[in-house]
Amino acid sequence: MWLRTLVLLLPLFSAGSVTAGPDNYVDIARGKALVIAGDCAACHTAEGGQPFAGGLALQTPFGAIMTPNITFDTTTGIGSWSADDFARAMQEGRRPGGGHLYPAFPYPYYTKVERSDLDAIYLYLRALPPVENRVNRNTLPFPFNIRLLMKGWNALFFTSGTFKPDPARSAEFNRGAYLVEGLGHCGACHTPFNAFGANQNDKYLEGNQIDNWTAPNITNDPRVGLGKWSVDDIVQYLKTGQNAFSLASGPMKDAIENSTSEMPVADLKAIAVYLKERGAEGPPASTPLAASDPRMQAGEAIYVDTCAACHVRTGTGVAHLFPKLAGNVVTTQEDPASLIRIVIAGGRAAATEGFPTSPAMPSLGYRLSDKQVADVVTYVRNSWGNAAAPVSEETVRTLRAKVTGAAPGE
Amino acid sequence: MKLPAKACHARTAGLGDMTMESADRRYGRTSRRPDGASPARHGVTRRGLLLATAALLVTTSGVNARVVTKVLPWKPNDAYPVAPVVPGGYLFFTASEAAVVEAFVDRLIPADDLGPGAKEAGVTTFIDRQLTGPYGGHDWLYMAGPFSENPLPSQGLQSELTPRQQYRMGIAALEAYCKATFNRGFAELAAADQDKLIAGLEKGAVQLPNFSSKTLFTAIYNNAIEGFFADPIYGGNRDMIGWKLVGFPGVRYDFRDVIDRPNQAYTLPPVSLQGRPAWGER
Repeated sequence: MWLRTLVLLLPLFSAGSVTAGPDNYVDIARGKALVIAGDCAACHTAEGGQPFAGGLALQTPFGAIMTPNITFDTTTGIGSWSADDFARAMQEGRRPGGGHLYPAFPYPYYTKVERSDLDAIYLYLRALPPVENRVNRNTLPFPFNIRLLMKGWNALFFTSGTFKPDPARSAEFNRGAYLVEGLGHCGACHTPFNAFGANQNDKYLEGNQIDNWTAPNITNDPRVGLGKWSVDDIVQYLKTGQNAFSLASGPMKDAIENSTSEMPVADLKAIAVYLKERGAEGPPASTPLAASDPRMQAGEAIYVDTCAACHVRTGTGVAHLFPKLAGNVVTTQEDPASLIRIVIAGGRAAATEGFPTSPAMPSLGYRLSDKQVADVVTYVRNSWGNAAAPVSEETVRTLRAKVTGAAPGE
Repeated sequence: MKLPAKACHARTAGLGDMTMESADRRYGRTSRRPDGASPARHGVTRRGLLLATAALLVTTSGVNARVVTKVLPWKPNDAYPVAPVVPGGYLFFTASEAAVVEAFVDRLIPADDLGPGAKEAGVTTFIDRQLTGPYGGHDWLYMAGPFSENPLPSQGLQSELTPRQQYRMGIAALEAYCKATFNRGFAELAAADQDKLIAGLEKGAVQLPNFSSKTLFTAIYNNAIEGFFADPIYGGNRDMIGWKLVGFPGVRYDFRDVIDRPNQAYTLPPVSLQGRPAWGER
């Protein structure tokens, strides 16, 4: 009799460490929280599409990549994947057949995620309704369509292995590190790329440009990083999308609305502690442009007439409503993309449960020429204690073409 | 009368007025021709008009109604830019009509020691471009009559003539009057004669052939003021001449820096929709 029971139970065990059934509700719920922390939906949901059914075109310097369907539809999704298959994709960037995934899928980060967490994510995705949605997975042009190239890429830029906590640091710091360096894949946007599209590990979290938006330096650098923000400021920003310094817009608006605002405050605090204690790296300070510079004079006139009504003559903004420009790190990043595009196209702040207002800035591109945008942005970057390189008319012209749809890339 | 849910949505979304306006316009368009028809002849009663308007509101609201939830709509690059008037030539006036208007507005707001006048400000170009646009046809006004001969002030505009018709017919009448009286056109008269004639038109003391002198005076007088003080983007108020004259700050909308300093001069120069010279060349 006991033998019969054992035989009946055998297939259950042989399926691996992951078991299906009503008992793993706890794991599924944990998986959901992890999927939120990883913001999987950001890439794996097309605009207006079903959640996790893929089909979003990710623009990379090498061409567009369509994100796959990660629902458990057997033919068009990952319904036939085992938990081992899933873990291998996350940790090594390989498909079940051994084929290579492109690092637009941030497996160099996910490799740090513990297997138990990956299994919880697997269970959650499997518990979702499967969606049939076939996605063309081969949109890259030659030679980047040769997936085997990634073998060389991995040899150069990819180190596999789960996160190793630093025993010299606090548990909170290590929790933050695990989230930022792993599932949160913050560095995927906030770390500069090299020519091969790999994040430069020696410039980790020092800022980058993504989709014509500036992803600022998020080291603890006081001039261009988070140095002036307290742990609580960071938590408030991630939880509500704004704090006394800034309001999130662009891709970070989405990341906050879909991911960090839904995360537990304890995890956000761990992230903040990690970012504050990790260290500070930034470019050397530059000297502000002289107020007598013609660009500064034109920029000041435009600022007074166009921007000061909300952002205030002295650049102080209005807390929680109009971003402060004096000392705002977005204004002093080496890359001025966000500043320029918000002037041209306007911007909208994140709307979260804690801060549902979502203030918006109108588009001023119709009113300002490229030269005038360059001058006003140059003025903002070099006033009230700010200091950063001037912006050229040419830079504005190129970006305007991209953000107004006059050229591909937006 | 009970409106269907859709129409109510249009109202709650703040779009009801828009719908009303388009309904009015449609109504006006079908019967705008100023043929002096009385309401009885058309059978248009107050009740009928209200019903027709309500019916249009209902039938068009499905297109316009939008339920807004969570956050207000916002789109990148969303703007309603006005295409700036490019000065040069006339689109409505003939050369001789333009000369009359130019001479007329030059007497209303002449250049003097306070600064340049309506002529220098490009007011004739402003009026010309307005007449070619929707204003010139009173496109948004109910124009089917009845028109009162002796309207109360509260009854507003009571002319079946569109501004385009007023200018075309009015200038022709003025020129005919000048040719008959002075044997030359209005533009060729001495300034003092022009002033006397304009004063006569204003009071109704001068009778133009087949045209109300008051109507002509009122049209040019009002439009000259508008052209002198409207944003330069519309072709008049060149270099913000009018705003500099009266000290109007232009399209600024924040005065927190100066609000607590009463009786002190406001030193910021005016700024137009297209900026000001200090912004640098466009």
